[in-house]
Amino acid sequence: MRTIVNNLRLFWQGTLLSYIALFAWLRPVTYLASKIVMPLAQMLFFTFLGTFATGSGNAHFYVIGNAIQIAAVSGIYGVTLSIGGDRWAGTLPYLFGTPANRLVLFFGRAFMHIIDGALGVVVAFTWGVVLLGLDLSHTNLPALALTITVATISTCGLGLLMGCLSLITANVMFVNNTVYFALLLFSGANVDINSLPVFMRAISYALPLTRGILSARLLIAGKSLSEAMPLILGELGIGLIYGVLGYFLFMWFEVVAKRRGTLDLV
Amino acid sequence: MMNAIVINHLRRVYRATIGVIRRSIKEVVAVDDISFEIGEGELFGLLGPNGAGKTTTVKVLATLLIPNSGSVSILGFDIVKDANEVRKRIGFIFGGERGLYWRLSGIDNLRYFASLYHVDPDVAKKRIPYLLELVGLKDRGNERAEGYSRGMKQRLHVARTLLHDPGILFLDEPTIGLDPVGAREFRQVILDLQSENKTILLTTHYMFEADSLCQRIAIIDQGRIVALDTPAGLKKHVSDLSVIEVEIYGAPQQVIDGLRALSFVDSLSVEERDQRQMLLVQTPRGAEAVPDVMSALNGQRIGRVIVREPTLEDAYVRLVGGKV
Amino acid sequence: MNFKNLFIYWRTVLMVAEMTIRQQLNDGFVIFTILLQPMIIAILGLYMLKDKGPQYAMFVVVGSGLTGLWSSLLFISGNSISWERWGGMLEALVGVPTPFEVIVFGKNLANVIQSLLSMIVAYIFAALFFGYSLNIDQPFLFILSLVLSVFAFISFGLTIAPVFVMYRGVQQWQNAMEFPIYILAGFLFPIALLPNWTTPISYFLPPYWAARALHGTSTAGASLEQTLLAWGMMIVFSIIDLFIASWLFKVMLYKARVDATLNTE
Repeated sequence: MRTIVNNLRLFWQGTLLSYIALFAWLRPVTYLASKIVMPLAQMLFFTFLGTFATGSGNAHFYVIGNAIQIAAVSGIYGVTLSIGGDRWAGTLPYLFGTPANRLVLFFGRAFMHIIDGALGVVVAFTWGVVLLGLDLSHTNLPALALTITVATISTCGLGLLMGCLSLITANVMFVNNTVYFALLLFSGANVDINSLPVFMRAISYALPLTRGILSARLLIAGKSLSEAMPLILGELGIGLIYGVLGYFLFMWFEVVAKRRGTLDLV
Repeated sequence: MMNAIVINHLRRVYRATIGVIRRSIKEVVAVDDISFEIGEGELFGLLGPNGAGKTTTVKVLATLLIPNSGSVSILGFDIVKDANEVRKRIGFIFGGERGLYWRLSGIDNLRYFASLYHVDPDVAKKRIPYLLELVGLKDRGNERAEGYSRGMKQRLHVARTLLHDPGILFLDEPTIGLDPVGAREFRQVILDLQSENKTILLTTHYMFEADSLCQRIAIIDQGRIVALDTPAGLKKHVSDLSVIEVEIYGAPQQVIDGLRALSFVDSLSVEERDQRQMLLVQTPRGAEAVPDVMSALNGQRIGRVIVREPTLEDAYVRLVGGKV
Repeated sequence: MNFKNLFIYWRTVLMVAEMTIRQQLNDGFVIFTILLQPMIIAILGLYMLKDKGPQYAMFVVVGSGLTGLWSSLLFISGNSISWERWGGMLEALVGVPTPFEVIVFGKNLANVIQSLLSMIVAYIFAALFFGYSLNIDQPFLFILSLVLSVFAFISFGLTIAPVFVMYRGVQQWQNAMEFPIYILAGFLFPIALLPNWTTPISYFLPPYWAARALHGTSTAGASLEQTLLAWGMMIVFSIIDLFIASWLFKVMLYKARVDATLNTE
């Protein structure tokens, strides 16, 4: 019983701390700009471009795609930086010196960003409805909510893996930015992935967001939850795979760093 | 002798905002109404403890800070209104890590700054190798500056500052962080520059450096000039005093304060050296005060006791109020 | 006053540009903004506009190059003064006789030239991987448009950097300023798609006129009049921006020297 309570406390503290750290680094106005204005700007750009390309009847295709894709902001910039942040703050040695449950510590980092990310996607959908004429009248809203949550979990899973990788690379923001933009392409947010060459489609299915976007499009077109379920489960699975990979990388990193004495890799 | 630099009632205040929610403004007077002149070709020292206002003064002269009140003119040009004319004629070194591009090689740094100083390319082509040789970096010019030692970086700073052959140089604590050999070599460079009739303002907190190099020294403390004279003239301030140096092992503060309070003690400064302290007692009574000093230090472990003539350092201590 | 300086210090401008390029060669952020991001946008554009016909390939190449130009201006040129400050170099750069805006002009020149590189890379990529034959309708006018666009972007960038330094409140919106310009300047789709009330805003943006000139002379079959109009606007804006920048720099440097913010201590 005691262990459960301790772990919960650890989880909560890690979560809260990583979120506060995010705010300390990011000023409130910048946060506002990136949470509310940037998603709108991105959605507007791709929706206009999309309707220019395939006609105004297809606006919803791009609105849905980009709205879900916003989850990547929290997953990549939020989670990756909150793990990588320890390296820059020089707090890794202290972290690794504790007997804290690594699993709880690790996944706790992502938790707050899942909530934050889902919120961002909801904001994006709101813009879509209010400004871009997105029609949610046929949608199973709880199912959509589930899709959003799962998509966010999934990108946070990727973020966890990238966070660990960032502990060993020098050019963190380079990788972050590249993956974020690559997701714009591979996730099918703006391009029907069936029109991509096979090797690119394979990459699409190996990445988060692809199934989430497909699921959201299905649901908003009026399809039922049961039809979208395989996609949702697949999305969740992908996210967990990335998360677990990240976790093992994290553990391995600790072992190697302790053995080589390179905890302060900065 | 014409005056190269004229400083008139210079005042410079820093404002800092404290607090995030309830903000208050704190004002720190860094330079508080100072006035002095430096003649052409003079090697002038600005001596003072850390935080005295030396760097602030130099930054004002280098046109990097604007005075809150007062004026400064360099070779007749006002540092605010004619900043660009001033910049053509001065060179400055703040030293350390700032002021050079570490990712570029030594030569590239010099090429870049030669261009920024608008040095004619043909002139620069000849001057850069000459300067590299002058500062002893001839063979390391093609390496990235980040690989240079501290002393080499400092020397690269010197080369950079001489690119446009300025008549006036500001050297702000240039030997700080250098090993003794490097520092001595650097001081020789300063003397060489002065022999070319350059006007040099040197700031330092090393007494012996100011003493050995400068023709005149201004002592600055808490933003005010407390003395301005030749080194010999400054030493006269303490010619009536002798200095008793007492090596002591860990004396408690009240004993030191008690000693300081004695009537014949003009001033007392304490130097920490590892586990020992060196008490420097200035007293007009000289050697005959030693027994009284000893009895005041009764019970403490004492090492060497020396009685000697005062140095510029002691003059400094007296003028700055023994707070070193 | 400012133009005279650009002529007097032309060698310095080139030297600053050269050194800036060399210093940024292995900076990940710069490489991403100048090369990778426009590339990915180009690929996205090529796929998205595939069904509109092969002539759109060149449109995408030019458009994505323009997005690269703007992003590099916003993030790299915009932050250039702050970066020098954080690197401890600002004092050394202000204390030289060369006017500081000339130095920043050189930096912007470097960034713009590097961004044009991304346009060339996108061109090659589109030709090789997608097999498009990319024709430029009016090559000579296109080149001239490029030259004028370079100046327009550099001048515009000269006004942005000091504003960011002086008004931290504005810089906080930096991330949110990227896509809106892509939209309002018509980089990858005509502004006719946008609501009418935004058109005046577009007219006030130098990047818009650059896009008009470049698209017009490469794919949109613009008449000479239309191209000359775009050129004229770019020249006008360049001149206005240089004047504004001159004043902004004077104010910024004066304020920095009063507030002692040239250094970060």
